[in-house]
Amino acid sequence: MQIWNWHGFFMYLGSGFIFRGALVTLMLTVFATCAGFVLGTVVAVMKRSRHKGLSLPARFYIWLFRGTPLLVQLIIIYTGLPKFGIRLDVTTAALIGLSLNEAAYLAEIIRAGLDAVSPGQIAAARALGLEEGQIARYITFPQALRIIVPPLGNSVNGLLKTTSITSVISMEELLRRAQLLVQEHFMVLELFTVTAIYYLAMTSAWDMIQRRLENYVNRPYQRTATPVLLEPEANIAVTS
Amino acid sequence: MIRFENVCKSYGSFQVLKNCSADIGRGEVVVVCGPSGSGKSTLIKCVNALEGFDSGQIFVDGTPVRDPATSLPRLRARAGMVFQGFELFHHMTVLENIMLAQRVVLDRSAEDARARSLKLLKRVGLAHHAMKYPVNLSGGQQQRVAIARALSMDPVVMLFDEPTSALDPEMVAEVLAVMTELAQAGMTMMCVTHEMAFARQVATRILFVDQGEIIDDMPSADFFSGQCSDRARNFLERIL
Repeated sequence: MQIWNWHGFFMYLGSGFIFRGALVTLMLTVFATCAGFVLGTVVAVMKRSRHKGLSLPARFYIWLFRGTPLLVQLIIIYTGLPKFGIRLDVTTAALIGLSLNEAAYLAEIIRAGLDAVSPGQIAAARALGLEEGQIARYITFPQALRIIVPPLGNSVNGLLKTTSITSVISMEELLRRAQLLVQEHFMVLELFTVTAIYYLAMTSAWDMIQRRLENYVNRPYQRTATPVLLEPEANIAVTS
Repeated sequence: MIRFENVCKSYGSFQVLKNCSADIGRGEVVVVCGPSGSGKSTLIKCVNALEGFDSGQIFVDGTPVRDPATSLPRLRARAGMVFQGFELFHHMTVLENIMLAQRVVLDRSAEDARARSLKLLKRVGLAHHAMKYPVNLSGGQQQRVAIARALSMDPVVMLFDEPTSALDPEMVAEVLAVMTELAQAGMTMMCVTHEMAFARQVATRILFVDQGEIIDDMPSADFFSGQCSDRARNFLERIL
């Protein structure tokens, strides 16, 4: 048996079966990030609340989902819930498991971002007569975003690879499909190299997106930043 | 315009404000001075309820501050406040800073808010900086924008909490010039400041605060011609 089969390598690299697996991985990541971000924001806001009725459930949620392996959570969701009459297909179970898990981690990232907004900024908004909801919308969340984006990027990068764990409940994402093909021709090294290349391509693409996101949220804070002319006529009005 | 009636406030067993009473009439410019830690910043922050107090009452243009029926956002919108640390919203341009509360609190149209903002920027001498982010302005410029932002709400009174204390000496003058112009235009002002030259020239009255008590409350001419208390005289000797 030869050590490395180039023909096999290129065959798998161009395989539609593997490619569609990568798309599933991408879909899982995008969905879990979005759902996790929304749920994580809710949990973060709850955890910061002064009311124990809100902060305690949030703390419990984070404690539970960060304290147990995703593998265990997925198996419980997929095989445990049907025993209580809740039957989920593989994709739904995977999406729910990943989202719930991701939300717990993102909640902590978002909470740290919200905490980092200086009290002086909030006092200034209050002094102008803004209501608490308006302060959250116009001041706290936009400023927290700048703190949130770098660790959020880290989390998305991790999630891209963590989705492979859903293969244990037979979710046909990238890794699972590679494992299925291994059983055909036993070209283990070639297949997993192709898999690695796919993951690298996806994490690299995310790196680029994250850099842009960071630049975007940092724009107001850069001393050299060229002011954005939101309304060019405003400048004309000033000089006239 | 602002009436303090026996205002008391404690942090635990430490009494920050002891039975503070004073009356600031329309068009008056009252400077509050005193040693650091005397409670003067706390006193001014009680006016727009950024700080609560335990007993007594403050009326702002007839509206009681410590009253559950009083809408604090509405009250605050009528009292402009300028902070020691400027507190421009970092993530917004100068123009957006001044427009925000006009838009969301006063429901002014974008065109109206923009026109008023540019007019105010012209008034504080910063018309050409409308599209910049705060980070690209000097401290003195940021504080002048902060004054314009407070004025954008058409306040009935302006509160200044050590507006020049965080500034380099050469920038103090430009901020004081704006404040002087404002006083001459008839604005009711309450200023916590160590700028005794400003107090002497611009203030109509001085409140000298020491250890949470209003020790002196007299016309500035009297205060500076030696009719003040011994404690105030001691204080003046130390800072002049």
